[in-house]
Amino acid sequence: MGESSGFWPWWQGGTAIAVITLLLLWLGNQRLGLSTGLENLCALVLRTPHLQRAEVAGSARWRLPFLGGLVLGGALAALASAGGLTPNLATPLLDARFAFAPAEKFAWMFAGGLLIGFGTRLSNGCTSGHGIFGLSNFECGSLEATLAFLAAGMLTTFLVYGTGSS
Amino acid sequence: MDRLLYLALGTAFGFVLYRSGASDYDTVQRMFLLQDFQLWGVIGTAVAITAPGLRLLRRHGLSASGAALKITPKPRNPGNWLGGAIFGVGWSITGMCPGPIFVNLGAGRLHALAALAGALLGAALLAALYPRLAPVLGLPVSKG
Repeated sequence: MGESSGFWPWWQGGTAIAVITLLLLWLGNQRLGLSTGLENLCALVLRTPHLQRAEVAGSARWRLPFLGGLVLGGALAALASAGGLTPNLATPLLDARFAFAPAEKFAWMFAGGLLIGFGTRLSNGCTSGHGIFGLSNFECGSLEATLAFLAAGMLTTFLVYGTGSS
Repeated sequence: MDRLLYLALGTAFGFVLYRSGASDYDTVQRMFLLQDFQLWGVIGTAVAITAPGLRLLRRHGLSASGAALKITPKPRNPGNWLGGAIFGVGWSITGMCPGPIFVNLGAGRLHALAALAGALLGAALLAALYPRLAPVLGLPVSKG
Protein backbone atom coordinates (compact mmCIF):
# COMPACT_ATOMS: atom_id res chain seq x y z
CA MET A 1 0.00 0.00 0.00
CA GLY A 2 1.56 3.27 -1.15
CA GLU A 3 1.33 6.78 0.24
CA SER A 4 -1.39 9.19 -0.91
CA SER A 5 -0.23 12.58 -2.03
CA GLY A 6 -2.01 15.87 -1.47
CA PHE A 7 -3.91 14.78 1.63
CA TRP A 8 -3.19 15.18 5.30
CA PRO A 9 -1.27 12.31 6.85
CA TRP A 10 -3.76 9.65 7.97
CA TRP A 11 -3.03 10.10 11.67
CA GLN A 12 -3.78 13.81 11.39
CA GLY A 13 -7.11 13.25 9.61
CA GLY A 14 -8.12 10.54 12.07
CA THR A 15 -7.20 12.68 15.07
CA ALA A 16 -9.22 15.62 13.72
CA ILE A 17 -12.25 13.37 13.17
CA ALA A 18 -11.98 12.07 16.75
CA VAL A 19 -11.71 15.60 18.17
CA ILE A 20 -14.82 16.78 16.28
CA THR A 21 -16.75 13.63 17.30
CA LEU A 22 -15.89 14.23 20.97
CA LEU A 23 -16.65 17.97 20.75
CA LEU A 24 -20.07 17.21 19.22
CA LEU A 25 -20.80 14.96 22.19
CA TRP A 26 -19.35 17.22 24.87
CA LEU A 27 -20.60 20.60 23.58
CA GLY A 28 -23.85 19.48 21.97
CA ASN A 29 -24.60 16.20 23.76
CA GLN A 30 -25.15 14.58 20.35
CA ARG A 31 -24.01 11.23 19.05
CA LEU A 32 -22.22 11.57 15.68
CA GLY A 33 -24.16 9.93 12.87
CA LEU A 34 -24.82 11.36 9.44
CA SER A 35 -27.07 8.97 7.53
CA THR A 36 -30.11 9.85 9.68
CA GLY A 37 -29.63 13.23 7.98
CA LEU A 38 -31.00 11.64 4.79
CA GLU A 39 -34.22 11.00 6.73
CA ASN A 40 -34.16 14.51 8.23
CA LEU A 41 -34.14 15.81 4.63
CA CYS A 42 -36.85 13.39 3.47
CA ALA A 43 -39.04 14.36 6.45
CA LEU A 44 -39.05 17.97 5.23
CA VAL A 45 -41.36 16.93 2.39
CA LEU A 46 -42.70 13.42 3.17
CA ARG A 47 -45.24 12.37 5.80
CA THR A 48 -44.25 8.67 5.89
CA PRO A 49 -44.90 7.47 9.50
CA HIS A 50 -41.40 5.99 9.90
CA LEU A 51 -39.93 9.43 9.10
CA GLN A 52 -41.98 11.03 11.89
CA ARG A 53 -40.35 8.97 14.65
CA ALA A 54 -38.71 10.75 17.57
CA GLU A 55 -35.16 9.87 16.50
CA VAL A 56 -35.63 11.78 13.24
CA ALA A 57 -37.88 14.62 14.42
CA GLY A 58 -35.71 15.28 17.48
CA SER A 59 -32.42 15.46 15.61
CA ALA A 60 -33.21 17.79 12.69
CA ARG A 61 -32.35 20.74 14.94
CA TRP A 62 -28.68 19.81 15.07
CA ARG A 63 -28.22 17.56 12.07
CA LEU A 64 -29.50 19.89 9.35
CA PRO A 65 -27.06 22.69 10.29
CA PHE A 66 -24.30 20.08 10.56
CA LEU A 67 -25.05 18.82 7.03
CA GLY A 68 -25.03 22.42 5.81
CA GLY A 69 -21.61 22.69 7.42
CA LEU A 70 -20.38 19.64 5.51
CA VAL A 71 -21.27 21.37 2.23
CA LEU A 72 -19.55 24.57 3.38
CA GLY A 73 -16.49 22.67 4.61
CA GLY A 74 -16.21 20.88 1.27
CA ALA A 75 -16.35 24.21 -0.54
CA LEU A 76 -13.70 25.77 1.71
CA ALA A 77 -11.39 22.76 1.37
CA ALA A 78 -11.75 22.82 -2.42
CA LEU A 79 -11.06 26.58 -2.48
CA ALA A 80 -7.92 26.02 -0.43
CA SER A 81 -6.71 23.21 -2.72
CA ALA A 82 -4.50 23.53 -5.77
CA GLY A 83 -7.36 23.07 -8.24
CA GLY A 84 -9.67 25.57 -6.53
CA LEU A 85 -13.45 25.29 -6.51
CA THR A 86 -14.26 24.30 -10.09
CA PRO A 87 -17.41 22.36 -10.97
CA ASN A 88 -16.31 18.97 -12.32
CA LEU A 89 -17.17 15.31 -12.84
CA ALA A 90 -13.68 13.97 -12.21
CA THR A 91 -13.35 10.38 -10.98
CA PRO A 92 -10.11 9.32 -12.74
CA LEU A 93 -10.16 5.58 -11.97
CA LEU A 94 -13.82 5.24 -12.98
CA ASP A 95 -13.23 7.25 -16.16
CA ALA A 96 -10.29 5.04 -17.11
CA ARG A 97 -12.39 1.92 -16.49
CA PHE A 98 -15.65 2.82 -18.28
CA ALA A 99 -15.29 6.14 -20.16
CA PHE A 100 -18.85 7.06 -19.14
CA ALA A 101 -20.68 9.93 -20.82
CA PRO A 102 -21.94 12.43 -18.20
CA ALA A 103 -25.49 11.02 -18.28
CA GLU A 104 -24.11 7.51 -17.73
CA LYS A 105 -22.01 8.68 -14.80
CA PHE A 106 -25.05 10.36 -13.24
CA ALA A 107 -27.00 7.09 -13.62
CA TRP A 108 -24.11 5.12 -12.03
CA MET A 109 -23.94 7.55 -9.11
CA PHE A 110 -27.73 7.60 -8.71
CA ALA A 111 -27.83 3.79 -8.55
CA GLY A 112 -25.06 3.76 -5.96
CA GLY A 113 -26.86 6.48 -4.02
CA LEU A 114 -30.03 4.37 -3.88
CA LEU A 115 -28.06 1.57 -2.20
CA ILE A 116 -26.46 4.06 0.21
CA GLY A 117 -29.81 5.52 1.26
CA PHE A 118 -31.63 2.21 1.57
CA GLY A 119 -28.70 0.35 3.13
CA THR A 120 -27.64 2.91 5.72
CA ARG A 121 -31.19 3.37 6.96
CA LEU A 122 -31.79 -0.38 7.14
CA SER A 123 -28.48 -0.69 8.97
CA ASN A 124 -29.38 2.32 11.15
CA GLY A 125 -26.01 3.95 10.59
CA CYS A 126 -23.08 4.52 8.27
CA THR A 127 -19.33 5.03 8.47
CA SER A 128 -19.75 7.75 11.09
CA GLY A 129 -22.50 6.38 13.35
CA HIS A 130 -21.42 2.72 13.21
CA GLY A 131 -17.81 2.88 11.99
CA ILE A 132 -16.55 5.69 14.20
CA PHE A 133 -18.98 6.24 17.09
CA GLY A 134 -20.41 2.72 17.40
CA LEU A 135 -17.04 0.96 17.22
CA SER A 136 -15.55 3.44 19.70
CA ASN A 137 -18.48 2.67 22.01
CA PHE A 138 -17.93 -1.12 21.60
CA GLU A 139 -21.40 -1.81 20.16
CA CYS A 140 -21.86 -5.28 18.63
CA GLY A 141 -24.40 -4.14 16.02
CA SER A 142 -21.96 -1.46 14.86
CA LEU A 143 -19.15 -3.99 14.55
CA GLU A 144 -21.40 -6.23 12.42
CA ALA A 145 -22.46 -3.27 10.26
CA THR A 146 -18.88 -2.04 9.83
CA LEU A 147 -17.53 -5.47 8.86
CA ALA A 148 -20.43 -5.85 6.42
CA PHE A 149 -20.00 -2.51 4.65
CA LEU A 150 -16.21 -2.82 4.44
CA ALA A 151 -16.46 -6.38 3.08
CA ALA A 152 -19.18 -5.45 0.58
CA GLY A 153 -17.23 -2.39 -0.52
CA MET A 154 -14.07 -4.41 -1.07
CA LEU A 155 -15.94 -7.12 -2.96
CA THR A 156 -17.68 -4.56 -5.21
CA THR A 157 -14.49 -2.65 -5.96
CA PHE A 158 -12.67 -5.91 -6.76
CA LEU A 159 -15.51 -6.86 -9.11
CA VAL A 160 -15.41 -3.46 -10.84
CA TYR A 161 -11.64 -3.11 -11.10
CA GLY A 162 -10.30 -6.63 -10.81
CA THR A 163 -7.13 -7.25 -8.88
CA GLY A 164 -4.73 -6.08 -11.57
CA SER A 165 -5.64 -2.37 -11.87
CA SER A 166 -3.17 0.32 -10.89
CA MET B 1 -26.62 29.99 18.82
CA ASP B 2 -26.96 26.25 18.98
CA ARG B 3 -27.31 26.04 15.24
CA LEU B 4 -24.13 28.05 14.71
CA LEU B 5 -22.21 25.54 16.82
CA TYR B 6 -23.47 22.63 14.69
CA LEU B 7 -22.80 24.55 11.48
CA ALA B 8 -19.24 25.21 12.68
CA LEU B 9 -18.63 21.60 13.73
CA GLY B 10 -20.09 20.38 10.42
CA THR B 11 -17.86 22.78 8.49
CA ALA B 12 -14.79 21.53 10.31
CA PHE B 13 -15.87 17.92 9.73
CA GLY B 14 -16.46 18.53 6.03
CA PHE B 15 -13.07 20.21 5.66
CA VAL B 16 -11.36 17.31 7.42
CA LEU B 17 -13.15 14.65 5.35
CA TYR B 18 -12.01 16.40 2.16
CA ARG B 19 -8.42 16.82 3.32
CA SER B 20 -8.26 13.22 4.58
CA GLY B 21 -9.20 11.83 1.17
CA ALA B 22 -12.51 10.39 2.42
CA SER B 23 -14.44 12.27 -0.27
CA ASP B 24 -12.03 11.35 -3.07
CA TYR B 25 -13.33 8.63 -5.41
CA ASP B 26 -9.92 7.19 -6.27
CA THR B 27 -8.69 7.13 -2.67
CA VAL B 28 -11.82 5.21 -1.60
CA GLN B 29 -11.29 2.64 -4.37
CA ARG B 30 -7.63 2.23 -3.41
CA MET B 31 -8.69 1.65 0.19
CA PHE B 32 -11.02 -1.15 -0.94
CA LEU B 33 -8.32 -2.57 -3.24
CA LEU B 34 -5.87 -2.56 -0.27
CA GLN B 35 -3.52 -0.41 -2.34
CA ASP B 36 -3.51 2.63 -0.07
CA PHE B 37 -3.37 2.69 3.73
CA GLN B 38 -4.64 6.32 3.94
CA LEU B 39 -8.33 5.78 4.77
CA TRP B 40 -7.73 2.63 6.82
CA GLY B 41 -5.37 4.78 8.88
CA VAL B 42 -7.86 7.65 9.11
CA ILE B 43 -10.72 5.42 10.34
CA GLY B 44 -8.43 3.42 12.63
CA THR B 45 -6.95 6.53 14.24
CA ALA B 46 -10.39 8.10 14.65
CA VAL B 47 -11.64 5.02 16.53
CA ALA B 48 -8.42 4.63 18.54
CA ILE B 49 -8.79 8.18 19.89
CA THR B 50 -12.58 8.43 20.12
CA ALA B 51 -12.84 5.23 22.21
CA PRO B 52 -10.76 6.43 25.20
CA GLY B 53 -12.28 9.91 24.78
CA LEU B 54 -15.77 8.44 25.15
CA ARG B 55 -14.65 6.54 28.22
CA LEU B 56 -13.34 9.74 29.81
CA LEU B 57 -16.46 11.73 28.96
CA ARG B 58 -18.70 8.94 30.23
CA ARG B 59 -16.80 8.85 33.52
CA HIS B 60 -17.17 12.64 33.77
CA GLY B 61 -20.88 12.12 33.00
CA LEU B 62 -21.76 15.69 32.02
CA SER B 63 -21.84 17.68 28.80
CA ALA B 64 -20.35 21.17 28.65
CA SER B 65 -23.69 22.72 29.67
CA GLY B 66 -23.83 20.51 32.77
CA ALA B 67 -26.59 18.24 31.42
CA ALA B 68 -26.32 14.49 31.87
CA LEU B 69 -24.37 13.03 28.96
CA LYS B 70 -26.56 10.86 26.77
CA ILE B 71 -24.91 8.10 24.75
CA THR B 72 -27.67 5.83 23.47
CA PRO B 73 -26.39 2.58 21.93
CA LYS B 74 -28.01 1.66 18.62
CA PRO B 75 -30.33 -1.39 18.68
CA ARG B 76 -28.69 -4.58 17.41
CA ASN B 77 -30.60 -6.55 14.77
CA PRO B 78 -30.02 -8.32 11.43
CA GLY B 79 -30.65 -4.99 9.68
CA ASN B 80 -27.20 -3.87 10.88
CA TRP B 81 -25.22 -6.27 8.69
CA LEU B 82 -27.79 -6.65 5.91
CA GLY B 83 -28.18 -2.89 5.47
CA GLY B 84 -24.43 -2.48 5.96
CA ALA B 85 -23.74 -4.88 3.09
CA ILE B 86 -26.15 -2.98 0.80
CA PHE B 87 -24.56 0.33 1.81
CA GLY B 88 -21.05 -1.03 1.17
CA VAL B 89 -21.93 -1.75 -2.47
CA GLY B 90 -23.19 1.84 -2.82
CA TRP B 91 -20.09 3.23 -1.11
CA SER B 92 -17.89 1.42 -3.63
CA ILE B 93 -20.01 2.43 -6.64
CA THR B 94 -20.09 6.14 -5.79
CA GLY B 95 -16.84 6.40 -3.83
CA MET B 96 -18.85 8.25 -1.19
CA CYS B 97 -20.39 7.41 2.14
CA PRO B 98 -23.15 9.77 3.37
CA GLY B 99 -20.94 12.55 4.81
CA PRO B 100 -18.75 12.89 1.70
CA ILE B 101 -21.86 13.18 -0.52
CA PHE B 102 -22.47 16.56 1.13
CA VAL B 103 -18.77 17.47 1.15
CA ASN B 104 -18.52 16.78 -2.58
CA LEU B 105 -21.63 18.85 -3.27
CA GLY B 106 -19.84 21.82 -1.75
CA ALA B 107 -16.57 20.98 -3.49
CA GLY B 108 -18.23 21.24 -6.91
CA ARG B 109 -18.25 17.53 -7.78
CA LEU B 110 -21.50 17.55 -9.69
CA HIS B 111 -21.95 13.76 -9.70
CA ALA B 112 -22.56 14.04 -5.92
CA LEU B 113 -25.95 15.55 -6.83
CA ALA B 114 -26.94 12.29 -8.50
CA ALA B 115 -25.68 10.29 -5.51
CA LEU B 116 -27.67 12.54 -3.15
CA ALA B 117 -30.84 12.17 -5.22
CA GLY B 118 -30.41 8.39 -5.14
CA ALA B 119 -29.65 8.36 -1.41
CA LEU B 120 -32.75 10.42 -0.58
CA LEU B 121 -34.93 8.16 -2.71
CA GLY B 122 -33.33 5.08 -1.12
CA ALA B 123 -33.98 6.41 2.40
CA ALA B 124 -37.59 7.25 1.44
CA LEU B 125 -38.08 3.75 0.02
CA LEU B 126 -36.78 2.12 3.19
CA ALA B 127 -39.09 4.33 5.26
CA ALA B 128 -42.07 3.30 3.11
CA LEU B 129 -41.18 -0.41 3.35
CA TYR B 130 -40.19 -0.27 7.04
CA PRO B 131 -43.55 -1.47 8.46
CA ARG B 132 -43.28 -4.60 6.30
CA LEU B 133 -39.55 -5.22 6.88
CA ALA B 134 -39.60 -4.63 10.65
CA PRO B 135 -41.38 -7.86 11.71
CA VAL B 136 -39.33 -9.98 9.28
CA LEU B 137 -35.95 -8.61 10.40
CA GLY B 138 -36.78 -7.90 14.05
CA LEU B 139 -36.33 -4.14 13.67
CA PRO B 140 -37.63 -1.87 16.46
CA VAL B 141 -41.12 -0.38 16.10
CA SER B 142 -40.85 3.29 15.08
CA LYS B 143 -42.10 5.50 17.89
CA GLY B 144 -43.29 9.04 17.22
